[in-house]
Amino acid sequence: MSTVPILEIENLHVSIEDKEILKGLNLTVNAGEIHALMGPNGSGKSTLAYVIAGHPSYEVTEGSIRYFGEDIFEWSPDERARKGIFLAFQYPTVIPGVSMANFLRMAVTNVRNARAEAAATDGGSAQPFTPREFRKLMREKMAQLKIDESFANRYLNEGFSGGEKKRAEILQMALLEPTLAIMDETDSGLDIDALRVVAEGVNSLMRPDMGVVLITHYQRMLNFIKPHFVHIMMDGRIVQQGGPELALELEEKGYEGLRAALAAGAQS
Amino acid sequence: MEATLTKGTTIPTGFTREAVEELSRQKGEPQWVLNARLAAWETYEQLPMPQRTDEEWRRTDIRPLKLDKLVPYAGVGERVASPDSVLATVEGGVSDESDRAGVVIQRDASTVFSEIKEEVAKQGVIYCDLDTAIREHPDLVRQYFMTQAVPANFGKFEALHAAFWQGGTFLYVPKNVAIELPFRSFVLAQQPAAVFAHTLVVLEEGAEAFFVDAFNSPTLDEQGFASEVVELILGKGSKLRYVQVQDWGRHVWNFMTERAILTNDSTLNSLHVTLGGKFSKNSIGSHLRGPNALAEMLGIYFGDGDQFFDHHTWQLHEAPYATSDLEFKGALKERARSVYSGLIKVYEGAQKTDAFQQNRNLILSREARADSIPNLEIGANDVRCTHGATVAQVVPEHIFYLQARGIPYTEAQKLIVEGFFRPVIDRIPVEEIQGFLEGAIARKVGI
Repeated sequence: MSTVPILEIENLHVSIEDKEILKGLNLTVNAGEIHALMGPNGSGKSTLAYVIAGHPSYEVTEGSIRYFGEDIFEWSPDERARKGIFLAFQYPTVIPGVSMANFLRMAVTNVRNARAEAAATDGGSAQPFTPREFRKLMREKMAQLKIDESFANRYLNEGFSGGEKKRAEILQMALLEPTLAIMDETDSGLDIDALRVVAEGVNSLMRPDMGVVLITHYQRMLNFIKPHFVHIMMDGRIVQQGGPELALELEEKGYEGLRAALAAGAQS
Repeated sequence: MEATLTKGTTIPTGFTREAVEELSRQKGEPQWVLNARLAAWETYEQLPMPQRTDEEWRRTDIRPLKLDKLVPYAGVGERVASPDSVLATVEGGVSDESDRAGVVIQRDASTVFSEIKEEVAKQGVIYCDLDTAIREHPDLVRQYFMTQAVPANFGKFEALHAAFWQGGTFLYVPKNVAIELPFRSFVLAQQPAAVFAHTLVVLEEGAEAFFVDAFNSPTLDEQGFASEVVELILGKGSKLRYVQVQDWGRHVWNFMTERAILTNDSTLNSLHVTLGGKFSKNSIGSHLRGPNALAEMLGIYFGDGDQFFDHHTWQLHEAPYATSDLEFKGALKERARSVYSGLIKVYEGAQKTDAFQQNRNLILSREARADSIPNLEIGANDVRCTHGATVAQVVPEHIFYLQARGIPYTEAQKLIVEGFFRPVIDRIPVEEIQGFLEGAIARKVGI
C-alpha cells in the first residue's frame, strides 16, 4: 500500500469574485478513512467541495491540493473525475433532454476507459464495458439503491424529488467507483428512510483504498456512516478536529456554543 | 423520350427568357408547359426583388447574391441503372430497397433514377419525376402544379422557380390507400449551376403516406443557388408525414417555399431540418382549410461557421375546429445567425382554433446570434393560441456537472445540445430519422 495520502490540502486560500471564502485550510485524507466536515452555513464547506472538483468560478489564490502527491490545479474537472475524484452534488443539476441511461453510459465509459488506459501503462489489462454489461450493472446498482428502473429513461434529474436526486448521485458514485468521494450535504432534504438507503449505499461502496469526505451540517448522517475523523469548519478554516465524539459534542452545544468556547479558549 | 438535357451544351449565365425557352426545348416539353414557364417568367420580371423594407425580409440581406452570375441550369444528366453509387456520398442516403416505397433521384437539372415498388404502384400510387408525370398524367399535374399551394405568382423567387423548375418529384396516392414505407427523394447538386427542386404530393381522401426529401451537395468555390418549392395537398381525412433535410454545400444560397393545404380531418406531421447552405431562407406554411385538420410542424436547425438561416412559418387557420402545433428548435455556434419568425393567423369565423407555436434557440458561442419573432393575428373570439420564444446560452453549471462525471467538454456540449433537440427528435416516431438526426447533431457539434 502506498503511504502517499489520497488527498492533501495545504494552506488553501480560495476566492470567488474577489471575496475570500477559504482562508488557509488544511486537510489530509488517507486510504480507508472517512472524514466528516461540519460547519455552519457560509463556512466554506461547499466551496471546498467545488474547488476539489474543479469548478471554474473559484480562484485559488494560495496553497495546494495534491491527489496522490500530484497537484490537481492543472487538471480539468473531467480529468479529475477520470482520475477517481467524485463530487456528490448538494444540488444536482437538471439537464433537460439528456436521459439518465445515456448520461451514465457516457460517464462510465469515459471513466472506465481512462482507468483501463492507466492500468495498461502500469502493465494491467482492465477492459472497458460492453453496452450489455453496462446495462446489467446499472440495473444491479439501481436495485441496490431502491431506484426504480424507469429512472434510466427519465431526463437527468428532471422532476426528481430531493431524495431521488440524492439517490441518483449515489448511483453515479456506485458506477464510477471513485477513489476520493466528496459528499456535499448528501443528507440534506432526505427523510429518515431515504437517509438510511443513501447511507447504506455509501457504506457498501466504501473500499479500503478509498477516502471519503462527508460534508454535513448535522450529526444525523453520522449515525449511519461512522467517520474516523471529524473536522469543524468556520469562516474558511478548520477550527477543531477530533474523533466521532466531536460531532456529538457539536450536536449538544450547537455552532454558537462551539464558537463561544473557541473564542474563550483563544482569550485564556 | 428521356427527360435529360443535352450533354455538352454551353449555357450562358443569367436568368433570361431565352434560357427558359432553351430549357423547355431541351426537355422536349409540351407547349402548355412552356407557356406556363413563360407566363411565370413574365411574373418574375414584373415583381420587385424583396427588400429589407418588406417585413418578411427585414433581417435577411440578399444583396450579395448575384443572380446574373448564375448558370440557370446544368446541362448534363444521364439516367443511371442503380441508385446506390449516386447516393453513396449522401449521409443516410443508401437504404435498402425493402425500406422504401419508392425513390426519385435528381442530380443537378435532371432526374437520373426513379423507381416505385411494384406492389405500391399496383394500388394506383404514382411516384415519379415531374417530366414523366407531365407525359403520363398531364391532367393531375395541370390541376395541382403551382396552382393551389404555391401559385407561380406567390413571390419573386417562386415565380423564378415556376419558370426554371427542373427534375421534381410527384407523388399521388389514391383514395383510401395507405403506404407505410417512405417515399424518398434526393436532390444532388454537383455542378456549379442553379438547381431547382420541386415536390408535389397529392393525397386523395383517406390516403396515407410518408415522404422524405433530402437536398445535398458538396461545397464548391462558385456561388451556388438552390430553389425548392414543396406543395402538399391533403384530401379529406388523409395523413401525411413529410420530412425535409437540407444539407447543401456552404456555397449555396437556398430559397425554399412550402405550403400545405389541409382539408377536413386531415393530418400533416412535418419536420424541417436545416443544416447546410451559406444562406437558407425557408417559408413554411399550413393552410388549415377544414374542421379537425391537424398540422404538426417541427423544425430543427443547426448553424455553424458563417451560416445564416431564416425560417418563416405560417399557421393559417382558415376553418374552425382545427389544430396546429409548431415547435422549431435551433442551435447556433461560431458566427452563425438565425432568424425565426412565425405567424399564427386565425381567420374570421375560425372558432375553436387551437394553435401552439414555440421557438427555442441555444447559443453555443459568443458571436452566434438568434432572433425570434412570434406573431399572432386573431380574427375570432373563441380560440386558444399560445406562443413562446427563447434564446439562451448553454448553462455553465450543466457543463460542469457533466465534466464532474468524467465527460470531456466537447462531449458534454454534445450531450447538452442533443438534449436540447431531444423533445423534437422524440416526436418523430421513425427510428431511421432519429438516428440520422443524432448523427447530424454530433457532426455539427464537432465530434
